[in-house]
Amino acid sequence: MAANRRNFGKDTGLQARMALTLFLLGLLYVVFVGVLFAAGAGAGLIVVVAVVLLLGQLFGSDKLAMAAMGLKEVTPDEEPELHGIIDRLCVQADLPKPRVCVIETAVPNACALGRSQKSATVAATRGILQMLSPAELEGVMAHELTHVINRDVMVMTLASFFASLAALILQFAFFFGGGYGGDEEEREIMLVILVSIVVYAVSFVLLRTLSRYREFAADRGSAVLTGRPSALSSALIKISGAIEQAPSQDLRRVEGSSAFFIIPPRAKKSLMNLFADHPPLEQRLAALERLESQLQGGLSTARA
Amino acid sequence: MGLRDILTGRHQVKGPAPDRLFAITTAYVDLQAEHGVDPSGSAAIVFQALATSEFESTIKDMEEVVTATGGDNGTTVKTEDDSYGYRWMILRSPPGAPSVEDLAVGINAVSSSIETAGFGERLLCAVFGFTDAKKQRIYFIYNYKRGAWYPFVPVPGDAQERSVERELQLKAQVGSELPVEAEIERWFPLWGIPI
Repeated sequence: MAANRRNFGKDTGLQARMALTLFLLGLLYVVFVGVLFAAGAGAGLIVVVAVVLLLGQLFGSDKLAMAAMGLKEVTPDEEPELHGIIDRLCVQADLPKPRVCVIETAVPNACALGRSQKSATVAATRGILQMLSPAELEGVMAHELTHVINRDVMVMTLASFFASLAALILQFAFFFGGGYGGDEEEREIMLVILVSIVVYAVSFVLLRTLSRYREFAADRGSAVLTGRPSALSSALIKISGAIEQAPSQDLRRVEGSSAFFIIPPRAKKSLMNLFADHPPLEQRLAALERLESQLQGGLSTARA
Repeated sequence: MGLRDILTGRHQVKGPAPDRLFAITTAYVDLQAEHGVDPSGSAAIVFQALATSEFESTIKDMEEVVTATGGDNGTTVKTEDDSYGYRWMILRSPPGAPSVEDLAVGINAVSSSIETAGFGERLLCAVFGFTDAKKQRIYFIYNYKRGAWYPFVPVPGDAQERSVERELQLKAQVGSELPVEAEIERWFPLWGIPI
């Protein structure tokens, strides 16, 4: 919509980098599939297993994640403010209302689950509900709802399909490694294993990169949805400060699903950027600051 | 939302749907005559107030225009911010002479000037107040994104409860006069309506 672009500018750079990442992932996977086909029969079985796993992941992971993270669905009576915020954002975003859950932990965080808009769940921890002001909480929930709108769970699950396949092949290789067939066949198997290792390593980096771009896109979506980029900035600063001080016991419980959290539980500054699935805080704040200045100055400069 | 939008992770906030705001001006006639639902004489428009000088000056100009036109028919304007950071612009008919037509014209003036200034996607909804024969408060809410109406009947008291039964009765009573939101899960409640 024209008005939006006028208020918030364009995000061409981000779009280009995301496209490049997707392209590289696609290229990698095409080569991988080519090698698997060349290797022939045994690979077919592995592909079937991987597809089954993928479907299981898409259709069953919600409930598993909900149970693992201790999500508890709350009614509007129990959490009137959270429901009020989400109701309004859903009207704004023209989105069916997702399930609203609370995680009873002091660690301030929020997450979104679900492969489609209809089956979506958004959750906030008790800590974040207590810590943030309504406007900040709105920014965070808008970030999570943008993940739902962009179907990020679906995109990341599908994008990581071949990476899981490569991992699967490596596991198979360890179980049934070597010792049968002729030299020719053995060499072929070694090649598949080598390629799998490379695919796994490269796709790992690319997937992390993709995940970071989706985070930037969700931050941007939140700013566009609420019209208050600075409220989200302020929330991110508050949350990240508290995450570093939070006890590790609680953090361990939420480990494993960090890609869907607004701030990853164990992000340390020493962690190399390349392997982080969330962009560093400074970069997210800088991006939000650009949005705020576009919002503040965009219209007047356009008219001058 | 297309595949391209999913891949790029880009979405735009939807702007207002084709305007069906004025449907209320014909729908309420039957409601009043046959079902004893009277207009309460107040209506409000709810939107996100952007904290920019451009937006504030748009709102200020708009308030003056609405106050000026309201001067002719006695409609008064009041502005309030709620705890969610949304702004309510409340229009009231003069006591004893509630006019849904004047209120709709006023609400429409506000929404169109917000749209003209390029902030159309900030509009949340418009609310028209009614009371039934038992003095129960009834609201009709207009969702700008969907271009559709739905009834909202909060149960009096502090508890956030709504009378879905009464809302469904009202839907049947307005019949085809009002474009009612078909998906009932999108009948989002608005608690603490100040009108």
